[in-house]
Amino acid sequence: MYDVAIIGGGVIGCAIARELSRYRLSTAVVEQCAEVGFGTTKTNSGIIHAGHHSSPNTLKGKLVVRGNQLYDKLCSELNFGFSRIGELVVAQDETEIPELERLKKNGEIKGVPGLEIWDQNRLRREEPNLSHRLMAALYAPSAGVINPYEFAFALIENAMENGVELMVQSPVLTIKVKDGGFVLSTPDRKITTRIVVNCAGLFADKIAQLVGLSDFTIHPRKGEEYMLDKRLQGLVRRLIFPVPLKHTKGILIIPTFNGTIMVGPTAQEAGDRYDVSTTYEGSEYVFNSIKNICPSITAQDTITEFAGLRAVSNSDDFVIGPTKVNGFINVAGIQSPGLTAAPAIAEYVRDLLCELGLVLEEKDDFKPYVPGPSRFANLSLGAQRRLIAKNPLFAKVVCRCELVTEAEIHSAIDHGARTLDGIKFRSRAGMGRCQGGFCTTRCMHLLAGRLGQPFHEITKRGGDSWMVTEMAAARNHRAKKGK
Amino acid sequence: MLDKIRRKYDVVVVGGGPGGMGAALGARDSGAERVLILDREPEVGGILLQCIHSGFGLHYFREELTGPEYAERFLEKVIQDDVDLATNSYVSGIAIDSNGTKQVRVMNEQHGLFTVDTKSVVLSMGCRERTRGSIRIPGTRPSGVLTAGLAQKLVNLEGYLPGKRIAVLGSGDIGLIMARRLTLEGCEVVGVFEIMPYSNGLTRNVVQCLDDFGIPLHLSTMVAYIYGRDRIEKITVAPVEKDFKPDMSRARDVKCDTLLLSIGLIPENELSQSLGIHLDVITGGPRVSSTLETSMPGVFACGNVLHVHDLVDFVTQESILAGQFAAEWSRGIQRPMDNIRLVPGDNVHYCLPHTLSPEREHTIYMRCKEALKPCRIRVGNLMEKKLRFVVPAEMIMFKIKPDLLEKFYGDTLRIDLVPDTQGENDG
Amino acid sequence: MVKSEQFLCIGCPIGCPLQLQHKGGKITEVSGHECNRGAKYARQEFTDPRRSLSTTVAISGAKGTRLPVKVTEPVEKDRVTEVVRKIHELDIAAPVRLGQVLIHDLLGEENVNVVACRSMERVGSG
Repeated sequence: MYDVAIIGGGVIGCAIARELSRYRLSTAVVEQCAEVGFGTTKTNSGIIHAGHHSSPNTLKGKLVVRGNQLYDKLCSELNFGFSRIGELVVAQDETEIPELERLKKNGEIKGVPGLEIWDQNRLRREEPNLSHRLMAALYAPSAGVINPYEFAFALIENAMENGVELMVQSPVLTIKVKDGGFVLSTPDRKITTRIVVNCAGLFADKIAQLVGLSDFTIHPRKGEEYMLDKRLQGLVRRLIFPVPLKHTKGILIIPTFNGTIMVGPTAQEAGDRYDVSTTYEGSEYVFNSIKNICPSITAQDTITEFAGLRAVSNSDDFVIGPTKVNGFINVAGIQSPGLTAAPAIAEYVRDLLCELGLVLEEKDDFKPYVPGPSRFANLSLGAQRRLIAKNPLFAKVVCRCELVTEAEIHSAIDHGARTLDGIKFRSRAGMGRCQGGFCTTRCMHLLAGRLGQPFHEITKRGGDSWMVTEMAAARNHRAKKGK
Repeated sequence: MLDKIRRKYDVVVVGGGPGGMGAALGARDSGAERVLILDREPEVGGILLQCIHSGFGLHYFREELTGPEYAERFLEKVIQDDVDLATNSYVSGIAIDSNGTKQVRVMNEQHGLFTVDTKSVVLSMGCRERTRGSIRIPGTRPSGVLTAGLAQKLVNLEGYLPGKRIAVLGSGDIGLIMARRLTLEGCEVVGVFEIMPYSNGLTRNVVQCLDDFGIPLHLSTMVAYIYGRDRIEKITVAPVEKDFKPDMSRARDVKCDTLLLSIGLIPENELSQSLGIHLDVITGGPRVSSTLETSMPGVFACGNVLHVHDLVDFVTQESILAGQFAAEWSRGIQRPMDNIRLVPGDNVHYCLPHTLSPEREHTIYMRCKEALKPCRIRVGNLMEKKLRFVVPAEMIMFKIKPDLLEKFYGDTLRIDLVPDTQGENDG
Repeated sequence: MVKSEQFLCIGCPIGCPLQLQHKGGKITEVSGHECNRGAKYARQEFTDPRRSLSTTVAISGAKGTRLPVKVTEPVEKDRVTEVVRKIHELDIAAPVRLGQVLIHDLLGEENVNVVACRSMERVGSG
């Protein structure tokens, strides 16, 4: 019997798992996709918010600043990429300036550090590529960017290193309340646990319903994002926000951690919990909105686009807390600033569990460090040579566009990659100009070899995302040979 | 493979496809003692290895060969001619020292990271395919959306099918050829969708790959959406208006489990750019002189990396020349600088090389913007040549003899493609 | 009455547009070709259309798993699918030499063979 079963291996589930792995508990993460973070997390914008947007009267508003503060320590321990590039909320005309003042005040109440209003001259000097018609800006130096999937991978890897068990491809179908605990049923097994932490994102309300709870509902809100050509790198140095609208922060200019600029996200109520399609209307909206803020950016600069779904609760706030069902905790409705708040949510949940009577005995052999992937392409020639001397597979190039070597593909598989997307998100192979044209077959062979699976069973991201199918002759041949 | 690598060479060729092999042979022919081909694949041959259809070598060998046959003929010559061959070798950069020696940085599993010094370099890295991102199709991002070239590799080299019910976007040759190939392998090709009002590929391929199998070619049609959760399930196609925007009122869904993209090729010039070599925005390849030398002295370019070809025979011709000049350069032979600029005029999309010299014969390669027949190539006021027809899909090649340029005293020569209004052709 | 057929020559990538005129089943004139292959092709397409054919077959004991092969002479257009099926029954063992005949006299026609389009060495003890 586990002490805690966390349903949902997104960034929230992984953050909670890592936090709980400090203590003498047996914890399991139960994830429905082929890998962690394959739901909303991998489509997240990757922004670590300063915290001045959200009201101090909401749970999301309360947790965001604490979450932001925790990122430096987490980054030094888990070695994921994190950069405090700062953020500017820009006023497009004079009527927007009072809103900047209001945001500044709101931030100060919450303890957001370093907030400053910049006048037009300062703004033009610091961000010369923004529209010269912008009047002023609110600067927040504590905002930053990460790769959200990199963060989730690092969290779960450290959690597993410290004893947490991860089950993937395991959607929870039923939950029985039994003997002071719960029995979760997935297609392959039954999991007995004392406590259930429901971080099931887009499906959190469905999971709660499995134990007869219907206190909240989740409705998906789609966000489309557009990645721009590498040659626009450096166009802006900070996160650029317009003055926010009612339930959305607006269309942003996001210099992602790798430097590539991204614009978006839209905020559109979505029909179903699987609809991650981008649309013409979304594209038009994004690029029309951006024109007034940064006229150099046009739709033609797009190199790729994608969409994600936010799990928004009917109260429009986080739903974190115990329920009528003893031992069943909800951590649901984690929309923006969920990624920023994640470390604080983990602490909050830990404290909640403690209040519920869970004994938290700290491990004295807790290993807080994750070394981080060696990115061959970013190393000096000397460091590259040293790596190659230790492992000649560092001299075997698999992804030409991002200069990813075979050793790094193996490392991605060692660290949990089971699919092509898993390799892509861990090593960057397939993210470059040719979008996998050169490296796809190589990565498929490497996966097939390591996983002991036939080539044609390798998928893009699990589920039904098969890549190739067998030729009829080959199938007959196999049948004849009795393989 | 030979995998013998010295430390000093006269000519190093980056890329061992038909371009690279031709350049290496040209270099040896022209007196270069030590020539090395570096190729990132396990075998040389480049894209030819996966082009199992015939249509290669008609001009050069006067035989119709398949891609692998053409490649092997050249591999034999290259081995016979004592060219060093290093496969599984990726060129990660080139540095130039104060003496002009090129230091080519190579990554290879056997030999690790090492440098090869050479006097001249021939770039022949070929090209890559345009991807979905460059034409921005909205919708979801399921598996089953791939370029026709990747599908060709999967079918012909790996022995797997990309899917069973195939839609093809773009009527470029690779897409047409794959439409036939997949049909012969038992797949259903539901249609080829082309945004222009005419096919981008050779007419021969439209006939032999589509008409023969009853595969419909939908012109002036674009793919407006891609749907599918994990795997592609359908596309939405719509006719386009004059401005290439989809008329969604006439859109319809097409069920498929695979979408092949055959929407164009881009010369792979990242390495060239890292050297600061000047590129021509139209060709996507380096600007070259009449010796096929780039803006970097001693660095030459040929094949698809210079401009996208349709006939491998032209690649061979061009690359042998590049190799010859690269060898000359390595031996310190200086050619007089070009003093004539060659510029594209009416209906000329581009012409190569970018400059000419009056001292020798030149081979001009060019493409037209729009189909025209019959027509004449007008080279300044020096020469006119009649052609039965020109189409953008077929590269035009002709020679300019030195005696023609001797009479030319200007600094810019313009090439135009004009309609031939003088009646019957002579051909 | 003289009837006219249009063909696009597939003899080479140039693709000459051909015109063939016939009366009462007999060919009266062929035009539009730039070389003899074109004239020959138009006549052939009208009387007995054929297609050149290449595909791949399974190969074991080599570095790769597929061997490209071709039929040395064009095959009757209507028998292409049948021919492909027959060729796919082949399962070759390395080594193979470029030009090696894998099937002699395909479909009973002399000199119509299936040959390897490349050499593939034997590797390991597979």
